[in-house]
Amino acid sequence: MSWLVHELRLIAHSRLCVAALLILCLLASIALVSGAREVARQRDTLVRLAPLHASDVAAVAQARAKDGDAGYAAYYTFYDTIDPPSAAAFVALGLRDVAPLALRVRALGLQAQLYEGESFNPELALTGRFDFAFVLIYLAPLFIMALLHDLVSGERQSGRLSMLMAMPGAATRLWVRRAGLRLGLALVGLGLPLSVAMAVMGSGGLALAGAMSVVLAYVAFWGGLCLLVASRHWSSTTQATTLMAGWVLLTLVLPSLANLAITQRIPVSQGVELMLKQRQNVHGAWDEPREATMQRFFRSHPEWQDTAPLPLKFHWKWYYAFQQLGDESVAAEVAAYRSGLLARQQWTERLGWLLPGVAAQALLHRLADTDLPAQLAYQRRIEAFHVEIRAFYYPYVFNERPFGAEDFARRPKYLAPERPPQLAWPLLLPLAGWALGVLGLGAWALRRSRED
Amino acid sequence: MRTLFRIAQEELRLLLRRRVAMLGLLLLTVLSLSAALVSWQQRQTVAADRARYQAQVNEEFDAQPDRHPHRMVHYGTFVFRPLNALAAFDAGIDAYTGHTLFLEGHRQNSANFGDVRQSSLLLRFGQLTPALVLQLLAPLLLVFIGHGVVAGERESGTLRLLLTQGVGPRQILLGKLLALSAVAGLLLLPAALALLGLSLSAGALPLAAAALLAAYAAWLLLWAMAVVGVSAMLRRRRGALLGLLALWTVLLVLLPRLAADAASTARALPTRFETDIAVAGDLAAMGDSHNPDDPYFAGFRRQVLAQYGVSTVEDLPVNYKGLLGIEGERMTSELFDRYADASFDRQQDQSRWMDAFGLLSPVLALRRLSMTAAGTDLDAYRRFLAQGERYRYTLIQSLNRLQAEQIGYAEDRNPTQQARIDRSHWHEQPDFVFEARTPGQTLRSAAPAAAMLTGWVLAVAALLWAAGRRLGRVA
Repeated sequence: MSWLVHELRLIAHSRLCVAALLILCLLASIALVSGAREVARQRDTLVRLAPLHASDVAAVAQARAKDGDAGYAAYYTFYDTIDPPSAAAFVALGLRDVAPLALRVRALGLQAQLYEGESFNPELALTGRFDFAFVLIYLAPLFIMALLHDLVSGERQSGRLSMLMAMPGAATRLWVRRAGLRLGLALVGLGLPLSVAMAVMGSGGLALAGAMSVVLAYVAFWGGLCLLVASRHWSSTTQATTLMAGWVLLTLVLPSLANLAITQRIPVSQGVELMLKQRQNVHGAWDEPREATMQRFFRSHPEWQDTAPLPLKFHWKWYYAFQQLGDESVAAEVAAYRSGLLARQQWTERLGWLLPGVAAQALLHRLADTDLPAQLAYQRRIEAFHVEIRAFYYPYVFNERPFGAEDFARRPKYLAPERPPQLAWPLLLPLAGWALGVLGLGAWALRRSRED
Repeated sequence: MRTLFRIAQEELRLLLRRRVAMLGLLLLTVLSLSAALVSWQQRQTVAADRARYQAQVNEEFDAQPDRHPHRMVHYGTFVFRPLNALAAFDAGIDAYTGHTLFLEGHRQNSANFGDVRQSSLLLRFGQLTPALVLQLLAPLLLVFIGHGVVAGERESGTLRLLLTQGVGPRQILLGKLLALSAVAGLLLLPAALALLGLSLSAGALPLAAAALLAAYAAWLLLWAMAVVGVSAMLRRRRGALLGLLALWTVLLVLLPRLAADAASTARALPTRFETDIAVAGDLAAMGDSHNPDDPYFAGFRRQVLAQYGVSTVEDLPVNYKGLLGIEGERMTSELFDRYADASFDRQQDQSRWMDAFGLLSPVLALRRLSMTAAGTDLDAYRRFLAQGERYRYTLIQSLNRLQAEQIGYAEDRNPTQQARIDRSHWHEQPDFVFEARTPGQTLRSAAPAAAMLTGWVLAVAALLWAAGRRLGRVA
């Protein structure tokens, strides 16, 4: 073990090494604290919203319970749905800075309500948040490069290389140990704050294991790349240049090129189109014979067929029938829109097979449940809840039952489900493959470089 | 002067022989050109889509059948945010903001279907535009190519030789700077071509395009000076390279994110959820137009009756329900405006916070300047939403007036039959036209960032000057 003490002493004497490790650990900690604060802010906001909403509904109940008309009650009562952050969301904040934390819907056509956005500052969103995912994906590779780029060339430039080469096997052993130790320390610098933070935040063992495997694989990948470059007989500046160019390519240029390609190849204009069409259909109902609208509604909802016929004047059941028909008329567009969004996600994940940074990003945000699929899942939950809202009001509206204060109290409540952390195992595979492959290749190239 | 050019010439001659450097230069030029072409094409597609939707919506509005005007109040209309031609150069916040705004009575909706919620997180790696290439990648290439311009001469001993031959240290630095500036000019060339093309073909404002070009020229000059300065101040090439790379990472990658984080914590925004409830609460506190005994609306009725000199609403020459609609919309819109202004003021506060970080990281000043000139900043977005709201208000009130003037009160209160007016009235409503900032306004809003960037250039020039003095003493 004396080599370990010796190597540690070497590291301790290198100001660059010590500084790099400390700063990496510090940045990871800052990012985790900052992420945790953001998540706490989101939770606080949700806590603040609940009583506000309750008093808003109470005001509606007070104003509407007197006349007992369920149609009015349904028209004016909003329902709150919330999307609380998961216990691991602070690691990778993802889309949560641009998507609503909570959305209020009512018994009218859902498709006109579902895509409502949140007010956020787009200039801040453009810059992005300082979370752990950012530190890992962008910054950690740079620190690994700083630690490893002159593994061999540093020895060459200081004149010790020929001496090392004279001892069979010594050089390879030395470099593998040295690189292993430095990578290990980088891993500690990232992993230690991460595990402490995830334990404190109660993210659970599975999320921690998943996040740690991503960190391990990603660090190993960049370590391997550094070894590969270190094995070349280049000057240390050329090596640094090559590594930096690789970093720019892998984390900036290729992902943004791929994003461009995906956006162009998979258009998702169905979102706008479904909104336009739904509005046409809903408002067109006012100019159609009301009986025809009812007949169309009864075809898909025969359970209301035998209710009383429409009176001469306005009746709410006709109103809610055409609202629902409006939603149903765009079902195909909604499905196409969703599948377009999912296809974009799928191609991103496929890209993860080629670009480790993209894989790491997708994995972390899936674990944190802050990615596009998480947003879509929230929309689907709102949709399911909206079915409940309609089912709650229809018996009152269609059977003309009075709707009193106690009926207000019986209205459905939205419950945010517990969502266990998900690890996208299929994506961990290519990331681990890249890591092992490049690491192996790097070690092999180092050995060969000695033989040359 | 002759010596200065000789030094620059020599440096460029050496550069031409460095294969890696030439390859990097070539790759970045290709990348820059393709970024310009692709984002131009993307911008054309997006702009055409939005124009097509806008035309479709306008047509659909005009094609609505005879109807009660209040049905049209609920039918509403859509406006689509047009995309500035220079968005092809710097997309700014376009992808992060909605472009489809539904305008209807009684409500103020958000602009929806922004790319950010329709893309995977891949978008967060950045969008490849000429602006991104020049902001991030060009400085990096200058670092790679130039970190050794002075440090290399020192390592090989030629620096001392030059100085003993009587070449002034500042002459050396200026010569090196001239060579690096030539490289920077080459990097700027594709962008200049793109800007020229956008001004000639896509109708971009030449003044804004010129401002963009000047800003990026200053940005690259800043980096060329910083590279020469650091190369002169550090003893070894390796040290210069690592130092410059660290500088690049901290200034361009790390600080902007920290600034954004700081700004969003310093000034938290209220959610739409809260705003909606607050508006509803304020509105309820003002009065309920459906309640015949409501004090506010009783007062309103008295005032209307007095104005027309009649004693009952039935005697009014206009439809009282229409007047109520006008009054109700006026009240809600005032609230909407107040809350929207408060939210945007807060957002602009956040942005100013972030701009202040431009004192630490010049890229923030450049970004502000670039987005402002390209018309893809928060202020331009706010303009769109404000103009959309103004258009909504005018449209809804004009429909309410139609109800007041074209439909009789008694007719309007008949529950068995809905009164309708002729569809020709829908044609009378003007279409939405977005008015972008004038060139003067653009330049004025870009001025603070331009001043900050100029300050950076001057500060780094002073550092370079100081490095020259030091070079003379220690080499």
